[in-house]
Amino acid sequence: MSVKKFLWTALLLTVVTSLVLSACGAPATEPAAEPTEAPAPPPTSPPPEVPPAEAKVLKMIFTQEPAALNPYYSNMWFELILHQIWNCWPWPSDDKNEAYPNLVTELPSTENGGISEDGLTITMNLRDDIVWSDGTPITSADFDFTYKMVMDPKNGVSSQNPYDKLTGLETPDERTVVMKFAEPFAPWKALFWRGMLPKHILEPVFEAEGTLDTAEWNLAPSVGCGPYVFAEWESGGFQRYVKNENYWLGAPKIDEIFIQFVPDDASQTAALIAGDADIGTFPPLTDVPALQDTGMNIMIQASGYNEGWFFNFRPEASPGMSDVRVRRAIAMGIDRDAINRDLLLGLTKAPATFWDAMPSYVPPGIKPWPYDPEAAKALLEEAGWTDKNGDGIREDAKGNKLTLVHGTTIRGIRQDVQAVAQQQLLEIGIDLQLMSQESDLFFGSYSDGAAVALGEVDIMEWSDAPYFPDPDTDYWLCDQLPTPDNPYGYNYFGCDEKLDKLSREQRTLMKAEERQAVVQEIVQYMYDNINWLGIYEDPDYWVVSSRLTGVKFSGVTPFYNIAEWDFTQ
Amino acid sequence: MATAEKSHFLDRTETIEVAALTPRQLVWLRFRRHKMAVFGLVLLSLLALYAVGGAFVFSEAFSNHTDTTLRLQPPSSEHPFGTDTVGRDILARSIYGGQISLLIGISAVVVEVVVGVLIGAIAGYYGGAIDNLLMRFTEAMFNIPQLFLLLVMAKFFAGKIPTIELLGRTFSGSVIIIILILGLTSWMYLARIVRADFLSLKEREFVLAARTIGTPNPAIIFQHILPNAVAPIIVSGTLSVANAIISEAYISFLGLGVQPPTATWGNMLEGAYNYIGTAPWLWFFPGIFIVLTVLSINFVGDGLRDALDPKGLVTGR
Amino acid sequence: MIRYVIRRLLQAIPLLFIISLLLFILMRNIGDPVATLGGRRMMRPEDRERLTRQLGLDKPLFVQYLYWLVGNDWTKVDLDGDGVAETQGPRLGVLRGEFGYSLMARGKLVTDLIWERLPNTLLLMVSAEVVIVLFSVAVGVYSALHQYSKIDNVVTAISFIGYSMPIFFLALASMYIFAILFKRWGLPYLPTVGMFDPEAGKTPLQVLQHMILPVFSISAISIAGYSRFVRATMLEAMDEDYVRTARAKGLPNRMVVFVHALKNASLPLVTIIGLDIPLLLGGAIVTERIFAWPGMGRLFLDHVSRADTPVVMGILMLISAAVIIFQILTDLVYAWLDPRIRYT
Repeated sequence: MSVKKFLWTALLLTVVTSLVLSACGAPATEPAAEPTEAPAPPPTSPPPEVPPAEAKVLKMIFTQEPAALNPYYSNMWFELILHQIWNCWPWPSDDKNEAYPNLVTELPSTENGGISEDGLTITMNLRDDIVWSDGTPITSADFDFTYKMVMDPKNGVSSQNPYDKLTGLETPDERTVVMKFAEPFAPWKALFWRGMLPKHILEPVFEAEGTLDTAEWNLAPSVGCGPYVFAEWESGGFQRYVKNENYWLGAPKIDEIFIQFVPDDASQTAALIAGDADIGTFPPLTDVPALQDTGMNIMIQASGYNEGWFFNFRPEASPGMSDVRVRRAIAMGIDRDAINRDLLLGLTKAPATFWDAMPSYVPPGIKPWPYDPEAAKALLEEAGWTDKNGDGIREDAKGNKLTLVHGTTIRGIRQDVQAVAQQQLLEIGIDLQLMSQESDLFFGSYSDGAAVALGEVDIMEWSDAPYFPDPDTDYWLCDQLPTPDNPYGYNYFGCDEKLDKLSREQRTLMKAEERQAVVQEIVQYMYDNINWLGIYEDPDYWVVSSRLTGVKFSGVTPFYNIAEWDFTQ
Repeated sequence: MATAEKSHFLDRTETIEVAALTPRQLVWLRFRRHKMAVFGLVLLSLLALYAVGGAFVFSEAFSNHTDTTLRLQPPSSEHPFGTDTVGRDILARSIYGGQISLLIGISAVVVEVVVGVLIGAIAGYYGGAIDNLLMRFTEAMFNIPQLFLLLVMAKFFAGKIPTIELLGRTFSGSVIIIILILGLTSWMYLARIVRADFLSLKEREFVLAARTIGTPNPAIIFQHILPNAVAPIIVSGTLSVANAIISEAYISFLGLGVQPPTATWGNMLEGAYNYIGTAPWLWFFPGIFIVLTVLSINFVGDGLRDALDPKGLVTGR
Repeated sequence: MIRYVIRRLLQAIPLLFIISLLLFILMRNIGDPVATLGGRRMMRPEDRERLTRQLGLDKPLFVQYLYWLVGNDWTKVDLDGDGVAETQGPRLGVLRGEFGYSLMARGKLVTDLIWERLPNTLLLMVSAEVVIVLFSVAVGVYSALHQYSKIDNVVTAISFIGYSMPIFFLALASMYIFAILFKRWGLPYLPTVGMFDPEAGKTPLQVLQHMILPVFSISAISIAGYSRFVRATMLEAMDEDYVRTARAKGLPNRMVVFVHALKNASLPLVTIIGLDIPLLLGGAIVTERIFAWPGMGRLFLDHVSRADTPVVMGILMLISAAVIIFQILTDLVYAWLDPRIRYT
């Protein structure tokens, strides 16, 4: 037999083998069969492998695949947004980003006695018709279990915030949960109970293995409490959710949700344009016109995030950074409108404050600093920075050059903004040195010697938000400064006594008007002192097929009304 | 001068006296016979001229000048190569990027040759336990594919060196880092070759003679043996420049190489796959430059290999 | 021969140790994996400190390496931060087959992660290698037989150009021409990215279609290089005496070329290809990135940028082990093909 024939056969065999290998490679994970302690309610019938012909299937595309589904082990946005599909929050938020009761009968407040006078006790009354997807009732025991699991040192949960603020949790009966605090904690509504853990499923697991870290439920939650139940997850491929027959608000209109993982923006756009999916997330802005041309709707929802420059006014910063006039000159030396218009296609604008997504906390009349290079130059002259030697860079009386370091991560748009900013600041006599690092190096700790933690970066850029929809943030607290004793401290910016005092104060004010006043004071102060400069807004962008009706998004709990979505016929 | 018989059949038979050629001239002669190698040399010179000479036409400030209203413009008379995502002129950037890319290519090879020759020479000359140890180390590093090692080392050294000003140009400190790690991940092959050469050369008489008269070891290594082992080093070094330029392009493309706004041909391609259809000029021009440079270096290296290797002459291909 | 193999395998063990130690030391400084676990927001210092402790990242480097190698179930770890080690460690260590859990996707075993991506990469790379072998041999032999003809010159020129191209340039160019331009001009076009179209699902036909461009990009460059090599060795072989003898005996040309010359010319090619195969496991990082192919190269890239040490170490050890094993295999095949070689 000739060599050529042998080689052809070998080729064929190899290709076939590889195809078989890849087909058998990753088995899809089915819901784990965890032992349950529940009294015998009828279990749900096993999810159908192939939906019946008339089933309505909603197809979504995610550009990142979740790593785990357990609410307390997730921090990725793509994991968090799934909660409203298969898990439940006691009070999710609607499209105005206001909380509404879901598992509780009403939101605790001082008026209805849910919050005690001294603000140290919050009482939740649960509805009596709420059940898990297998029919077991959701009771205060589940809340107690969730709290204990989060605080247990054997569980590597992502965050214990704010459960570590509780001094105790009591469950006098099945419908009542009492949270006790050492001091009033105003952000409780935005931070507590972002997901529920089923006690009857996970407690046996915890007792058997000593930890929840490796529980199968984390990757295949057999039991949930949302309008849909988890059905299937093929790693690298897709996830499927089917409707929850036991949902206490009635079964959702759409039968099945199919989420495809497409790791690339270009394929997501192509799939959406071809009509292969109904929902897309965060399309590249350059693709938005093409998507709109095919009839898809682009829905923009504020989520609290804004991309901005954090100014460093620590002692380690370059000379000049601690002078408000210099910071003001920088604010007026950058043409942010041009950045938004040209680099972001005019789809966003420059935010004036860190809290722009929560207008009630922004004092009226605050507008973004205007682009005024002449005024900026005048301010710099006034602050004592002049260009004596004609090299285009200003110096102060002692001869220090006005050289500032700007740092950010390696995303393309950020490096573009850096380049533009460098040039515009050069025009007013500031030498901007640029640095960009991968985020795990950028946000390294003080003991790792990360430049940002050490205070060597004067202007830091990234996208961040307060604890939306709550205005609380602890980035500027003085005890968060990174030091050898507190190497992970994340106040990379500096300690301002007044700002620190106000920030601590607003956290303890349980009465809405009092709190609003103090927060507005903080916002005004930071605006005048330019501790933070907004570059562009960073809301959630959704691509929605025109076939869908009833679609609304929340900035906090995006799929909050997914049970009401339907297809037009 | 010998005379030859003149006969009917042998019309013109003369002997010509030829002056003996130095080895260097011999090499050059053999090199010149390779048309492709000469072509490569010419092309390389043109590219170097472009990168260095172009700096007199466009200022560095111009290559960094952003104008967001002009972003992503196709090639035109104003901007022959078009503009990039922030409106910078791609032609000017390719000039300054070329300077950095070529600088990285050559410097990385210098690092590689220094490290590789040192390790190979010491291992080959001293032998025994030292040889064993060095070769195990070499093998260990050799077994890790270069791109992986590069990515890990790029993160290891990231951000350690600030901006540098050199010869009137400012560029990011990551250039030095890239040079270092490129050199430190590619010396293994050269070390092996040098060691093999040293192993055979150290048994020769001239080494024995040098030792007998008491020449210290370092002098033997560098002044006696090394000059005889230089041919494979030159060839390997030349081809390594191409490898260094391509490797730099790879890691810059993946975002871990030289950081903007310092341009290199590699990082001008970074993120270009987002604009592959809408702005092909973003990746086409830097890519072409890389291809041409590597091509010419490969030609030259091929020619050098044949010129320096007498065996190639015998088979005459 | 068996003794030789065993000796090589035994020699490989300390080598793997050295490699793992080298890599682990490098891993130390490539970033803080806990830094990016906060999602879109920065991670709170208390949580960061707790997670660092729970994941064992606060231990000195040597201790971390030890735990990675032999696990920590023979000692106790301090999980609640009071300074007293009270809980028994859960990890078995690499020597007992457990490469640990990913730091990014906590709860997912490193071996599971790699196993999910490995078939995708193998699919791409093995196909590419087969294509490379076939075409290099074909092109090289043809060039050698028709030396200095016009076609030979054209092929040589193209080979040089192809050999000098960075792989992503070829990938971008081919994607642009065959996927985008063809579609624009109404010709049948190839898909751009991914392993399959979301609507059609993961069918073999889809996968095959999506494989064409990546395999082409990977193989084109290697074919360019290897075909010249085959050409050179074929030319050498064809000049040898035994070929002349075979021709003198009156054997048909095809037999002379394929049976006698090619067999001898292919020896060095085997070595090169044998050494190439383990690199395939690296999955052509750049190609997978451009074509959004969910393989091991992308896994490595994603996890190295988040400083996920267990996964990165797992991948690198796998590749290093594969390199060593294939080196041994290549030597064996070489000895089998060339009876003159004897190993002791």
